[in-house]
Amino acid sequence: MKMGMVIDLEKCIGCRSCMVACKQHNAQPPQTWWNRVFTPGSHRHLTPPALGVEFFLPVHCQHCENAPCEKVCPVGATYHAEDGAVLIDYERCIGCRYCMSACPYGVRQFNWEDPEKAHARSEYQEKYHYGYPEDHRHEGRLVYSPLRPKGIVEKCTFCAQYRDKGELPACVRGCPGKARFVGDLDDPDSDVSRLIKSRNAFTLLPEKGTKPTVFYLPPKAKEV
Amino acid sequence: MSLKMRLGLVFSGALFLVAVAAWIYQLKEGLILTNMQNSYSWGLYISGLAFFVGNAAGGLVLTSSIYLFGVKKLKPLAKLGALTAFANVTAAMLIVLPDIGKPIRLYNMLLHPNWMSPLVWDVIVLNLYAAAAAIYLYILMLPELTGRLGWLAIRVDDPHAFSERWAKRIAPVALLFAIGIHVVTAWIFSTQGARDWWFSPVMAPDFVSVAIAVGTTVVLLAAALAYGTGEKYQEAYRALGLIIFMATCVHLFLMANDLVIHSWYGNAETHRIMDIAWGDFGPAHLFEVAAPLLGAWLLMRPQILGSLPRLLASSALLIAGVFVHRFLIMPAAYNNIPMTMTPFGLPESHWSLPIASGRFLPGMGTFLDQYAYFPSLVEVAILIGIMAYAVFLVLLAIARLPILARENQ
Repeated sequence: MKMGMVIDLEKCIGCRSCMVACKQHNAQPPQTWWNRVFTPGSHRHLTPPALGVEFFLPVHCQHCENAPCEKVCPVGATYHAEDGAVLIDYERCIGCRYCMSACPYGVRQFNWEDPEKAHARSEYQEKYHYGYPEDHRHEGRLVYSPLRPKGIVEKCTFCAQYRDKGELPACVRGCPGKARFVGDLDDPDSDVSRLIKSRNAFTLLPEKGTKPTVFYLPPKAKEV
Repeated sequence: MSLKMRLGLVFSGALFLVAVAAWIYQLKEGLILTNMQNSYSWGLYISGLAFFVGNAAGGLVLTSSIYLFGVKKLKPLAKLGALTAFANVTAAMLIVLPDIGKPIRLYNMLLHPNWMSPLVWDVIVLNLYAAAAAIYLYILMLPELTGRLGWLAIRVDDPHAFSERWAKRIAPVALLFAIGIHVVTAWIFSTQGARDWWFSPVMAPDFVSVAIAVGTTVVLLAAALAYGTGEKYQEAYRALGLIIFMATCVHLFLMANDLVIHSWYGNAETHRIMDIAWGDFGPAHLFEVAAPLLGAWLLMRPQILGSLPRLLASSALLIAGVFVHRFLIMPAAYNNIPMTMTPFGLPESHWSLPIASGRFLPGMGTFLDQYAYFPSLVEVAILIGIMAYAVFLVLLAIARLPILARENQ
């Protein structure tokens, strides 16, 4: 089993629903976003950089097979789960932020202060809590907690807390265009494997040699 | 103890205590007290690590000069070299602590070390070098551990012969660890394929050369303060000056070599790097080149080595230049977002994906691809305090232990 995701850029409408679903479901503190959707080439989202060229790019952890973040982690807090997802053990991370430098995709986020204080600083409504309410352990290790310990690194888990219950990640369920697919890359007949083969799937920064398990399907030219 | 020594100890000790207080405050509030954020995740503390590791090279230079190359005139400075090495390598380890988000969990490095991580290698080699420097210093002091300090001495038949024999035996081992700390610290950066600015095989040899330059300058500075600039030590100082100048030239050559290759190929990433290194930080780059070169050139001249104020000013110039060099490790790495692409249909465009800052930054958006980092007061206070710790340790050792040659006490 090797978990993989395919994102069809032809179907992505740039609505950022996946961004919001991800942020809410995973109780991300203010200014922390595991998943980002932008308009490549443009400084303003949803504004085409040129007439007729408009597509959107969602980027979160690429769950690389050759993950630099895992290799640099001095304490093995970042690890590959059996299904191929790259996870962080919230109880082991020492917060050295080496992984944040090593990741070429900029997906790793640090808890610069206590999340409760961050809520107050950003003027969130008092006692307002959102997201999956319980701690979650995957293979015995704490990979999700609604209130993060101060001073640790976090990132996309492919929604470990939902996958372990047989449900899909929040971004997949929250996508109105059904642009996201998850499945087993080892199975040549899975949806993801077939899409990758038939639609010229590509990965981000292939020259870095990280071997992402998140694949993108290129958009067709837009009608003007 | 002289009044000057007392004042030095009180002043450096006080600055160190300020740093401890600042660190306790930062432990309570989190790294929000620094000016780092997600897209610029290492700052002054990690620059400080590289700086102190470089300063620790003094021991390496002196032991190798004396025992491998037979430069006997440097022998009176051997203990000072080992002492400044120990002070700086422990300072290097100390400055990492405030950069760690959860220092209480550092025991995980012992329980679950990831042998692939250059940071684990660095912790090992820094500790080995600190131990080697301490043991080496002890062996050198052994013949003079008598009277009041007699209880510190291990019992051997002939302390002088024992010291001489074991110093020779330990020197090559210490030398291995000494080169190790520069190489492995450089590897922490240069193994990161994500950062074009760091991903260069020249970084490790450059760290060694800059360390030989600045580490020797630290010993020269300490020796001039301890012994003065009398005729007796001029020969040794001139030897150090020559080492400093040669190492500085090698360092500037390696750095220029890297910059030429980065800029020559001229793809979008390297354009961006050069815009930062030569553009935004142009004046700082000029300083990191000119200050060590001028300082090293001055430190070769007899009229400079013969005057304490001039020697101190020239050394300070070189050390300041190297400090700026260490600060400049970060900007061209972090202000050049690795996740860039040429969007479909826009071959002229080179677009970077902004990164969520992870913290509230007044007047700034959440998603950043540019960030003008300048260290916060807490970061500066902690760095100065760790520098003061190194000074305090050297002063205290000189006051209490037989570090200096007898006739000068």
